[in-house]
Amino acid sequence: MMPAFTKGNEAIAESAIRAGLRAYFGYPVTPQSELPEYLARRLPERGGVFLQAESEIAAINMVYGAGARVMISTSGPGFSLMQEGLSYLVGAEVPCVVVDMMRGGPGLGNIAPAQGDYFQATKSAGHGDGRLLVLAPWSVQEACDLTRVAFDLADRYRNPVAILGDGLLGQMMEPVVLPAPVEPARDVAWATTGAGSGPARVITSLDLEPEALEARNRRLQEKYRRAQQEVRWEGYRLDDADVAVVAYGISARIARTAVDRARDEGVAAGLVRPITLFPFPSQAVRDVASRVRIVLVTELSAGQMVEDVRLAADGRVPVRFYGRFGGMVSTPPEILDQIEQAASEVRAA
Amino acid sequence: MATALTFKDFAGQKAMWCPGCGDFAVLRALQEACARLALPPHRIVLVSGIGCSGKITSYFSSYGFHVHHGRTLPIATGIALANRDLAVIAAGGDGDGYGIGLNHLIHAIRRDVDLTYVVMDNGVYGNTKGQTSPTTVAGTITPSSPSGAVEEPVHPLRLALAAGITYLAQGVSSDVPQLVRLIAGGIEHRGFALINVLSPCPTYDRLRTYQWWRARLVNLDEEPSYRPDSRELAVEAVSSRDASIVGLVYRAPGRPFQSRLPRFRPSPLASERLAPDGERARRILDARYAV
Ligand SMILES: Cc1ncc(C[n+]2csc(CCOP(=O)(O)OP(=O)(O)O)c2C)c(N)n1
Repeated sequence: MMPAFTKGNEAIAESAIRAGLRAYFGYPVTPQSELPEYLARRLPERGGVFLQAESEIAAINMVYGAGARVMISTSGPGFSLMQEGLSYLVGAEVPCVVVDMMRGGPGLGNIAPAQGDYFQATKSAGHGDGRLLVLAPWSVQEACDLTRVAFDLADRYRNPVAILGDGLLGQMMEPVVLPAPVEPARDVAWATTGAGSGPARVITSLDLEPEALEARNRRLQEKYRRAQQEVRWEGYRLDDADVAVVAYGISARIARTAVDRARDEGVAAGLVRPITLFPFPSQAVRDVASRVRIVLVTELSAGQMVEDVRLAADGRVPVRFYGRFGGMVSTPPEILDQIEQAASEVRAA
Repeated sequence: MATALTFKDFAGQKAMWCPGCGDFAVLRALQEACARLALPPHRIVLVSGIGCSGKITSYFSSYGFHVHHGRTLPIATGIALANRDLAVIAAGGDGDGYGIGLNHLIHAIRRDVDLTYVVMDNGVYGNTKGQTSPTTVAGTITPSSPSGAVEEPVHPLRLALAAGITYLAQGVSSDVPQLVRLIAGGIEHRGFALINVLSPCPTYDRLRTYQWWRARLVNLDEEPSYRPDSRELAVEAVSSRDASIVGLVYRAPGRPFQSRLPRFRPSPLASERLAPDGERARRILDARYAV
């Protein structure tokens, strides 16, 4: 199939339709509005429902009720408003796919690319002890591919799955090969479609008895342990590396260029790119940290994923951080400079 | 020596709305209204939501709060209850006020908080590039309704009246003198005032232009038989023709929340000593223990 030149937001939308999307609920917000607007045109044609809700709070709760392959998308402020609903979906074990095209924050911030929602996406789905599974693409093709993965993981684990992108990924255009359409399973336990002779399905996250709620939480935690097998990451030029750069999403793209330039200049640098942010590729980071002499984390934030990297590296090597934020995007020369500094730090030691 | 205020005393940054945007008229009317009421900028706080309309806090010179999407009214309520010597004005778009923030409107009306709410109703989500808003007319084609909007619009005047509002008006951006009167009346009103302004968006709404409104609007202020103190007439007006009327729709004596709060004192909390001083504390204790 010929690759088609496609915007990140639209590639995710089309991939979702091909994954069997039946319903989309959302609320406009820059820089992701192309995604709902694409679905407004194309989803009804393929038999699905599109609805622009009155707010993100309404939209996430419509998602909660859908009982079919369902997606919602937003950016920072809207993602915050969805946290309560996501907590209920997690508690009641109802799947969905939620896209957050991150922008500069906090507050209204701006509409430029950023990665400041890492904590919010990976550490907790709203209140309580629940998690989202989180995927972080770095190209339009990968955004398209991971959308399919997201729907499958959501159903398999009965848990919301987040695709964490940023304004740049959503807006940029790249050639994409779209996947073939699939038909998802219809008879799912979280839909109110009849339970045969079993008890009536009541979707809830309420357990007044602490014993029962603890049991529910144990089930969730057991699920997250099982989800460890879904860890995805990619290594680049790591074999003989002294400096390992760790970056995800758009930052990893910038870092890869910097790694190549460092190599040209004789600095043995490599790249670890987490693709699943939860579950985090801790083992991979630990292994790499055992082989290199220093780790450099770079993000478009004031330092969020770096905490997971430090936990994984567990003191094996120094972990340095370089971030730009507020919508500022680091450049390859900036990262190269940081790599060189890291390299000279260990050379001096 | 103090000189009379003019709209220029309320000039903020240069307004960056699209040429022809109805919001310019709202800004000008708000400036004229404050000047007419001799309310100096430091006695006013303007709270705006998110949207093209929400930029008004940058363009108007007074204290300002540019808050999050849909939440002007709870924040304005907080200000009105705490900093009690400020005139509190909230402003924002129809998406902000009648979509994501609608529940707050009903509760602000129910409380009759003493503040003035100006909605710049352009019938679209201007800032996010033209999607449907809660006041978009059914059938309208937008980027989020490519086959025409399916939902019936919200009717803000009907909702407000049903919720028990004590000052309700609708204006249009093509008539600034009337807007000035309506907004000034709202600020003077002791209680919650809503002024819905039909404010054309020339960029994303090609239908409802200034001419389109002019051809449709009836001015209640000029109808000899209309009396804004009549709830019956107001109900009739908003039920049969709410999107085609301008003027003061309804006014009743307000029962401001502030005046109903137990032991409410009008001085601002920010400058109050909440703890009793030593002398008063001793008197209270003496009385308690009957010494
Ligand atoms: C929670 C949240 N969701 C979405 C947005 C994106 N957003 C910015 S302005 C706006 C709507 C603007 O429409 P309206 O309130 O009618 O004002 P206008 O721009 O037309 O003046 C939206 C949805 C946001 N800032 N915050």
